[in-house]
Order: sequence, then C-alpha cells, then structure tokens
Amino acid sequence: MAFTVLSIPKRIHKTFANLRTGVVLLILVVIASALGTFILQRPATDADKLTRAYSPTTLLWLDRLSLTDVFHAWWFMTLLALVSLSIILVSIDRFPNSWRFYARPYRKTDSHFRSALASKVELPIRDAEQGLNAAERALKKLRWPVERIAYQKEPALYCERHRFSVMAVYVIHASLLLIFCGGIIDGIFGYNGFMQLQRDQQVNQIELRNGAKKTLPFSIKCYSAGQENYADGSPKKWWSRLAVIQDGKEIQTKEIVVNDPLVHGGLRFYQASFGMTGNLDALKLLATPASGSGREITLRMNEPVDLDANTSVTLAEYIPDFFIRDNQVFKRSDNPDNPAFRLQVKNKATGDDAKLWLFPAYGEAAEGQKTNYSFTYRDMQMGYFTGLEVSHEPGQWLVWAGCLLMGAGLFVAFYMVHMRLWIVAVPDARGRLVLWIGGQANKNRDRFDQKFNEVVDTIRTELEKTSAAAGPARKEQPNLTLVAVK
Amino acid sequence: MSTRARVVQIEQPAATGGNALLVLVGLAVAFLLVVALLGVAKGGGSLFSESNLLYVALVFYAGAGALYMGFGVTGTARYVTFASTSTAIGLAANTLAVAHRWYLSGRPPFASIYEMLLSFVWAVAALTLLAEKKFGVKIIGSITMPLAVVCVILMQLLPSEVRPLVPALQSTWLHVHVTLAMLSYAACALSCALAMMFLIQDDLKTEIFLVWTSALVSAIYIGIIATRFERWGGLSVTGWNASTKSDIFLGPGMRLFVTVPDLGWLFVLATLGAIAPLALYFVGRAKRDDSLLPIANKAVFISILLQIVVLAAFALRVRNASYPSPDQEGLFPTSLAASPFLLGGMITGIFASLLYLMLLWRRADLQGLLPSADTLDRVTYKTICIAFPLLTGMIAAGAYWANRTWGSYWSWDPKETWAAITWLVYAGYLHMRITRGWRGRRAAYFAILGFGVVIFTFLGVTYLLPGLHAYA
Repeated sequence: MAFTVLSIPKRIHKTFANLRTGVVLLILVVIASALGTFILQRPATDADKLTRAYSPTTLLWLDRLSLTDVFHAWWFMTLLALVSLSIILVSIDRFPNSWRFYARPYRKTDSHFRSALASKVELPIRDAEQGLNAAERALKKLRWPVERIAYQKEPALYCERHRFSVMAVYVIHASLLLIFCGGIIDGIFGYNGFMQLQRDQQVNQIELRNGAKKTLPFSIKCYSAGQENYADGSPKKWWSRLAVIQDGKEIQTKEIVVNDPLVHGGLRFYQASFGMTGNLDALKLLATPASGSGREITLRMNEPVDLDANTSVTLAEYIPDFFIRDNQVFKRSDNPDNPAFRLQVKNKATGDDAKLWLFPAYGEAAEGQKTNYSFTYRDMQMGYFTGLEVSHEPGQWLVWAGCLLMGAGLFVAFYMVHMRLWIVAVPDARGRLVLWIGGQANKNRDRFDQKFNEVVDTIRTELEKTSAAAGPARKEQPNLTLVAVK
Repeated sequence: MSTRARVVQIEQPAATGGNALLVLVGLAVAFLLVVALLGVAKGGGSLFSESNLLYVALVFYAGAGALYMGFGVTGTARYVTFASTSTAIGLAANTLAVAHRWYLSGRPPFASIYEMLLSFVWAVAALTLLAEKKFGVKIIGSITMPLAVVCVILMQLLPSEVRPLVPALQSTWLHVHVTLAMLSYAACALSCALAMMFLIQDDLKTEIFLVWTSALVSAIYIGIIATRFERWGGLSVTGWNASTKSDIFLGPGMRLFVTVPDLGWLFVLATLGAIAPLALYFVGRAKRDDSLLPIANKAVFISILLQIVVLAAFALRVRNASYPSPDQEGLFPTSLAASPFLLGGMITGIFASLLYLMLLWRRADLQGLLPSADTLDRVTYKTICIAFPLLTGMIAAGAYWANRTWGSYWSWDPKETWAAITWLVYAGYLHMRITRGWRGRRAAYFAILGFGVVIFTFLGVTYLLPGLHAYA
C-alpha cells in the first residue's frame, strides 16, 4: 500500500483496532504504574524527603521525565487515552459481527450445520409432528423458550437462552470507558482542598492542593468538634458538628465523622484531622462575692462577663506554663499543664480597675484588693481545630455507574451461558426417522453438557409417554413415517 | 535416561510401607497436640482460645502437608484421603479461631495484616477442599497446604492482639472490601496451584521445574543477601522491643537494625547452594551434556539441607538474643517476631525445593492422580473467572470506601495502583485466552505470574511501599 495521506487515518485505525496494540499499551501502563509506586511521588512526598532519597542529578532527570509525578504526567494521560482509543476501536471493529450474530440468530438446521455441531443426539421416532410435539412439551417443562421453525423443509424447533450474554463484553468495555470519562471529568472540573475551622468559626474559603484559595458560594460553620478515645488511648472517633450557612441562613446541619461526610452543593466535607490550637478556649471559674455564695462563670479571652450590676470580669492574659521571677510572671513553655491567668475586674460605679493573677497550681483563690470577689479555678478547655478535606468530584457518579455496569457485565459474561438447541425430525444415516437434537454453548462446556443431557432425557421420557399412549402395536413401523416425511 | 533412573534409585528413600507415614504423621500430630494440651493445663487459661485453635489448625495443616508430600514420595494414594481429612480438621479449627476472634472483637477479623492472613488461610483451606471434592484435583493440597503453613507460621510472629478499630476502618465497606479481597486472592492462589498442576500433567520437562524452583530459591536468598548482608559477614535484622511488641524505631518509618555477626556467611553459602543447581543445569545445556542434570538434582538435595541449616541457625541466633547496632550504641534485643518476612521467605524456599523433589521422584504417580491436562487447564480458567469479578468488586468497593473516607475514590496510592496492576494482568489473561485462544502452557505461565503479582500486592506493597493503605 502506498503511503498516501488518505491511508494514514486508516493505518491509525488498523494499528489501534488491533488487540496486540491494546496489550502492548496495557503492558506500558502496567510498567509506568509500577514505576510510579517505586519512585517517590511529588505531591505525596515532601521535597525534603525527595532530596534526601535521590542525588541531585537523579532527581533532576526524574523530574524532567515527570517520573516523580507519573500519574499526572502528560505521557501517562496519553497512554490512558490511547488505551481508551484502542478499546473503542477494537469494539467498533468487532461489534458488527457480534451484532449480526445477536440480531439474527442462526436457526436453520441444514445438514452441514448438523454435522459440524459438537453435541448431538438422535432419538428414533415414528411421526415427525408427534416427535416435535413431545420435544416441545419436554422443553416447556424445563422452561426453555421454544420456537417453531417453519421456513425450512424439515419441521424443526429452535430454542436458546441468554443470547444477550454475547453482548456482555461490550457492556464491560463501555463501563470501563464510563469510569474513564468520570475520571476525566473529575480531572478537569474536580478539585480537592482543605479547610480548617475552630469552634464557632465560619469559613467560606478552601485551600486547594496547589496552594491557591477558592471561595465557595456558601460558608461552613463549626459548632463543635471532638475526639473520643478507646480505653487504651488510641483514637476511636473524630467528629465535628457543622452547619452550612448561605445568605446568613443556616440551611443544613450535620455531625460528620470519619466515614460520613457532609454533602452540599456538589461538595463533600470530610473529617480529615483534629487538633489543638494551643490557645485557650474557655476558663471556668467560681466567682464568690464577699458576702453570699459563689457562682460558676465561663470566661473567654477578652470577653467581659458581668458578675453583678456594676462589676464585670475579663480574662486578659493566659500563660500555658508559667514561672515567676522578680515578681514578674513569665512563660516557660507551651504545654498547658501549669497555667496562669490574668483577670481584669472592673467596677463601673467606683471606676476601679483591678488586675489579678490566678495560679491554679497554688490551689488558692485569687483575691484582688479593690474587688469584692474572689475567684477559684475550676476547669479550662483548650481551643481545637477540625480539619476538613473538601472535594468536588462531579464525575464520580459516572464512575459508580461504570462500576455497577461492569459488575453486571462481568456477571453476565462469566456466568450466563448462551445456550442454543436445535431439534429437527430428519432421517438418519440408515434412513430411519429420528428426532435430531443438537446444542451449543459459548462457554462452560461441562455445565452445558449436563443441561443438554437433561434436555435429551426429558425428551426421551416424553417420547416414551407418547408412544405408550399411542399403543404398542405401531412400534414396529418406523419406515412408514419415514416415507411420509420424504 | 538411564543415568537419571540411577539417580532416582540413589536418592529415593527406601519405600515405606503403606501405613508407616500415616502412623508417623498421626503420632506427630498427637504428640504436638498433647504437648500443647500439657502446656495449657500447666499455664491455666482457656482451652479454646484463638491461639490454641490456631495451633491446632497449624498442626493439622502441617500434617496434611506432610501427607500430601508423603504421597509424593511414596505414591500411596491412601495418604491423600487422610491428608484431606486432616485439612478438613485444620479448617474446622481455623474456622473456630476466626469465630473466636470475631466474637471477642465484635467484628469480622479484617483489620490488620494478622487478621487478613487468618482469613486468607481459611479461604485457601476451604477452596482446597472445594477443588478436591468438586473438581477432583486431589493433590492440590501439596501446594496450597505448605502455603497455609507458611502463613500460619507468619501469623505466630505478627502482632496478634485485638486492637480497636481506628476511625477510618469503622465502616461496613471494610467488610465488603476485605471479604472480596480475601476470596479473590484465595481464588488466585488456587488458580496458580492448578496452573502448576497443569504444567506437571502437560509433561513439561522436570528440568524446567528445576530451573524455576532454583530460580525462586536463589531469588529469595539473593534478595536477603542484597538487603541484609553487612560487612565482615554479619546479617542485619530488625531490633525488637519486647515490652511494646513492636520493631524498634529510630524515627518515623526508620527501623533500627542490629547486626548478627557471622550469620551472613551462612546465607551466602545457602545462596550458592541455591544457585548451584541452576548453574549446573545451564552449563549442562550449553555443553549438551546430560550427565550434569542428575548432579543438579543432587545439588537441590544439598541445597535443601543447607537451607534447613541456615533456618535453624537463624532461629537459634536471632531468637531472644541481643546484638549491637551500627546506628546506635549499645546492645538491642532481637526476636524471630521482628523478621516475619525473612522467615517466611526461607520457609517458602524449603517448601518449594521439597515440592520439586516430590515431583522428581514421583512424577508418574502424580500424573496418575491428577485429572487430565485439559481439565486442569479449564479449571484454572474457571477459577480465574471467579477471581476476576471478585477482584473487580474488591477494587470498586475499595474505591467507594476511599471516597467516603479520604475524599477521593482514586489517589494512585501504591496499594491501589498494584491492585489495578493485578486487575490488568488478569484482564490480559482473559483477553489472550478468549480472543487469542491462549491455552495450555502460555495460559498456565500467565496464571502463575498473576498470582505472583497478587502476593506482591498483598504482602510486598504493605511492607515495601507504604502509603495511605497503611492498615494492611
């Protein structure tokens, strides 16, 4: 063939519609994927680790060949695209034949066909019509759909089961393409990001993987979050109570846990991490007036709390781990195990503004000289944050549809056997009239042989019943019917 | 041919009577059980605890393995019946062990590599019996039972305490995903065993088995030497912290290795022993000299002895001892439990070599007992037809679960990628078989390769390529 311009599309078609090309492509995909698991990958591994693991030259070349990010490299995408192309072209090439086979099943029983069939049995009968009727009854009893073939010389029956299973392979390949489509849609339109929330914080921005920020049309508010532990201290559950806020209104609330995300507007919010911010969230105190009984109050940083009509108290400073030198309070570390709190007590009436330190470690109540109150430490809560993984995957439904379709396709392709039976009344080699029964299956021959024997046995029983009803006298006259058929 | 016959005479042990091995194995099983019972009686504790049940399963699986191999050596068909009974008892004990663990933890045993192996062994034993009864592949156990024994021994060394589920694993999809995985992996194991049986029945030359067996054993030992041989003949093994029952870590993901002096030389010797048959075979082929082949077969025998010596030495020197580490001052304790995969590799090597000897001595008897090559070929294909949809379901369930937990259904994590590779390899097998009509040897090699990839995905990825899929 000449190398004309016109032949190029044809040649491409010929190359990719070839199973061998498909297999070579798959082998390349396998090799590339394996490399991608052995070589440390960029987004998952931090740069430090990569520079430690490889020499600068190696790393340079790995980066140049995008071997440090195989699964997002253009050549890997191209490979997958070529595999898809190959699947499509191979299927297109093979489809017409399969469709012809599917749409116009071969029902005729000419002698060539009969001699070529592997499973066949001949049962002697006396009368063609009677024999076929008996066979039809037997097949109906076994729940085979039976068809009479009228357009050929010999009266015949045809039946088949699960013809659609010959098309299952196309369903499987289509489902694979569907999954690829879902993946491509997600690759183009989907994104993944992260969001960190503290208690009562409301955020409408997520940080994408590449560091860019994306603003959402709604915001997420965290009411509370927490961690539960097993008795041995290992984490049992992380949870966050979240709300979706749009235009100032709360439109959805949900407590999410690790395996159960919040879904809103095509986005999913996953519980991804939980931790302490190192800041104080709330301090619980017992505030006791000079006369009378105390009451418990909860203080947050710089938020005044009224004690009575004139007096208010504010938490002004928090030191997680303190020490005192020269009558001054200093911070030693960030571990919140030896805290100190500075309170500010204001009196509107007198204009007094008292500052006093509370050291829970000393176990004493803090009393100011100018205040009527004493404060006793009860409890403190550390601030926490909950980390949410956010993902937008519009193509995932195609992926799940593809998975279901593939499951169905595999089931049909592997476990539903296309079985066909032809039954015709013809003279055998010696000229006797027989009921010729032939069958074929496209897979699982053992199973089919069992089925076939079952069919033959039932027909035989049915034939015996018929001849018993017709009476034994005519048993020795097979030749008469033979003449009638001819 | 005549030289080979002579060798067979030399190497074949005196033919034992029909009952000798049965009695021996029976006594061994009884002895091991009595010893264990005495231990339980002395130590108190529950008779039907999981570890005891697992021990019973191990004893019976090992008995079954010995009988299958005994059949290989003596050709007494009756051994196979007893072996299959022994497998069934082992399976019963294994089932009880699974049930006990399930009852104790209140969830199916799928959450750690130990629990996965527990389920995997169960599935392998169940499928072995199924293949025997349903497909008439009588001696499939001679391949699957050693596999089961290796797995149970590995399990004795892996951390086995019931751990509560971490949040990511608290999902129904865990059960769906892992059940499908174990079933498909067991079906893959079975297809591999059937493919090997096919190669035996298909009159593949015994020398070729020699080559592959020796290549496998050599690969195991070369792998050990390449990664663990230290200067001046030491062998490095992981340090073991007995109180936390885990490896000693220097930093995140960095294990502390200690050096056992002089043990490395023994491994070099075993490597040479494993390479020797291979070298002899290839030299013989290059020189067209058939007389080297019997020597190569003898070399296999020597190699087994060497492997056993190395295993024993390894066990004696590593078990509860302390050695210095090149990375840090001081002596650090070691334990067999710290090196489950070294041990697993060594035991696999011994079993593989023994299986080869069984083939060498009793090929005709084996062939007499196996179904026809054609049947084996078809059953291999059928097994893969079962494994492949299960594998597909396993990946799909995993993807769905990952989407609920990690926020993405596919992250190209090593485990995911290797599961996809496994899937592609079996898809390749199916395509070649269905559209290209690959039958017989090529298909059998493909099936064996497929199981190799499965084992790598199951165990190799977990220990070599850590990623998101860190549980098992």
